Amino acid sequence: MSFQRIWRLKDILLDLVGIRCKDCGYTCYPPKAACPKCSSRNIERIALGSVGKIVSYTVVNVPIEGFENMSPLVIALVETSNGKVLTQLTNVKPEEVRLGMEVEATIRRSAMTLDGYVPYIVKFKPKES
Amino acid sequence: MIAVLSKVFVVGVGMSNVGRFYERPLRDLAAEALFKAIDDASNLLPDFIVVSNMLSSQAEQENLASLIADYCGLRGISGFKVEAACGAGGAAMIAGYSLISSGLANSVAVVGVEKLSERSTPEVARGLAYAADADFEIPYGISFSGLNALVMRHYMDKYDVKRDEMSAWPILMHENGYHNPYAHLRMRITNEDVLKSPIIADPIRLLDSCPMSDGAAAVILASEDVAKKCNDTPILVAGIGNALDSTDISSRFELDSFLAARVSSERALKMAKLTPKDIDIAELHDAYTINGVVTLEDVGFAPKGKGAKYLYDGRFRPGDKPSINPSGGLKSRGHPVGATGIYQVCEVVMQLRKDFPGVKVGGEVGLTQNIGGVGSNITTIILRS
Repeated sequence: MSFQRIWRLKDILLDLVGIRCKDCGYTCYPPKAACPKCSSRNIERIALGSVGKIVSYTVVNVPIEGFENMSPLVIALVETSNGKVLTQLTNVKPEEVRLGMEVEATIRRSAMTLDGYVPYIVKFKPKES
Repeated sequence: MIAVLSKVFVVGVGMSNVGRFYERPLRDLAAEALFKAIDDASNLLPDFIVVSNMLSSQAEQENLASLIADYCGLRGISGFKVEAACGAGGAAMIAGYSLISSGLANSVAVVGVEKLSERSTPEVARGLAYAADADFEIPYGISFSGLNALVMRHYMDKYDVKRDEMSAWPILMHENGYHNPYAHLRMRITNEDVLKSPIIADPIRLLDSCPMSDGAAAVILASEDVAKKCNDTPILVAGIGNALDSTDISSRFELDSFLAARVSSERALKMAKLTPKDIDIAELHDAYTINGVVTLEDVGFAPKGKGAKYLYDGRFRPGDKPSINPSGGLKSRGHPVGATGIYQVCEVVMQLRKDFPGVKVGGEVGLTQNIGGVGSNITTIILRS
C-alpha cells in the first residue's frame, strides 16, 4: 500500500469515521456511499467512538508483505456503540487478549509502507480503569 | 423470473494436476486443461472463451483470453477474462452460461488458470488480501488467514464448537483427496497432526488451510442442439446463482455465516426447482476449515452451529447424502485461486458421469459453491445428469 493511499483516508482512519443512515438508523464502519441495509443515500458521517469490546481476535504469525517485522500481529474486531472496526491491538500480550475485553483507541505507528514511509494509525489498547 | 432461451450443458471437462509447477508457464497449464476438455467434447471447437483468473498481474501477464485462445489455435474466436477474486471460476461460469442461454454463442470454453508459484508467500498473501477491503484492512497487516480466523473464533465461541470437531473437516478432506490423482496434497492426516501443525493465525493452523497452488481446469459448455451431437453424457447446468456481500468484515450483518453463500444457493436451487435435500454431491469452497463448516450450514446441509458436529459424528462421507468434497476440496486438491471454481465443476460433472478417477460417490444431482474474498462474491451451481 502506498503512503498516498493512507494519506487520502487519514481523516477516516484516524478519527474512525463511519456512517449512520438517516432513514433506517443503521450504522457501520468503514463508510459507504449508501446504506448497506436499505440502499438509502440519505446518510451522514459519524464518529464511531473510541471505546469498545473485543468480539473476535486473532494472532497472525504469517502477515502480508511489509508487516513481517511486526509479527505476531494481534488483530481484533472491536464493537463500538456505532459499529465494528477491524484494528490492531497494542500494549497487550497475545495470551492476555480475551473476548469481551474492553479496549480504547490510541494512535500508533503502522508498518513502513512499500514506498518507504511510516504512517500513524489507530490501534486499540486495554482500557485503563 | 429468469428467462432461459436455451438450456446449457457441460459437454467436456479437462484438468491439469494441481501443484507448484515452477517449470511450466501459465499458457501451458491452460492449454493442457483446454485441450483435454475439447477432446472430451469429441473435438468441439468453441465459439467463445471465458478465462477465469485472479492474480495474473503477479504472474506478469494480462489479456489472458487472447493469449490462451491464440496459443491453442483458436485465434479469431470471441472472449474475455473474468475476475471475482477466488470466486472467478463461478463468475466465469455465469458468463459462459449467459452467452449460451442468450443465443450469443453455441459453445463456450470456460478456462480457469492460476500461477501462484511465480511469487513468494508474503507477496501472494498481499495479492490475495487485495480481495478484502484494501483501504481499511491492509493498513493493519491482516492476511486472508487472519480474516478467516476472526470468523472461526467467533463461530467456535458462539456455538461452543470444539477444536476436535473442527478438525474432522481437514481429516476427511485429506482422506478423500488421497485418492484424487489431480490433488496437490495427497496425504492422510490425523487429529494429532492437525493439533501439532503450526498456528498461521490463531485459531487457524496450517492443516486448517488450503495450499497455494498452480493449476488449470476447463469445461466446454454447449446449447442443447450442439450438446446432442458431440457427447453421449451431457450434464445439464440446472441452476446457477451469484450473490455479493461486503469486502470488509467490519460491516458484516453476521460474522458466523456467509450471507452470499445462503443467497446464491437459494437462487441456484430455486432455478433448478430443488432443495438442499435433493443434492447427492457437493463441492464446497474450504479455503479454511471454517469456510467449509459455515457453508455446510449456509447451503442448508446442517442447522446453524451444527456443521462441524455433524461431520465429527460421521456425516458427509462418501456414500452419505450429500457426500461433501469427494475431490478432497481446496484443503487437499488445492486452491489454484481463479481456477478453483472450474475444478469443482469438472469434478462434479465426472462424478455424475461416473468417470471421476478418485473417490466415486455416484448420484444424479451435484452442487458446486465457489467463494471469492471472505464470503463476499459467491457462485453456486446445480448440475444434473
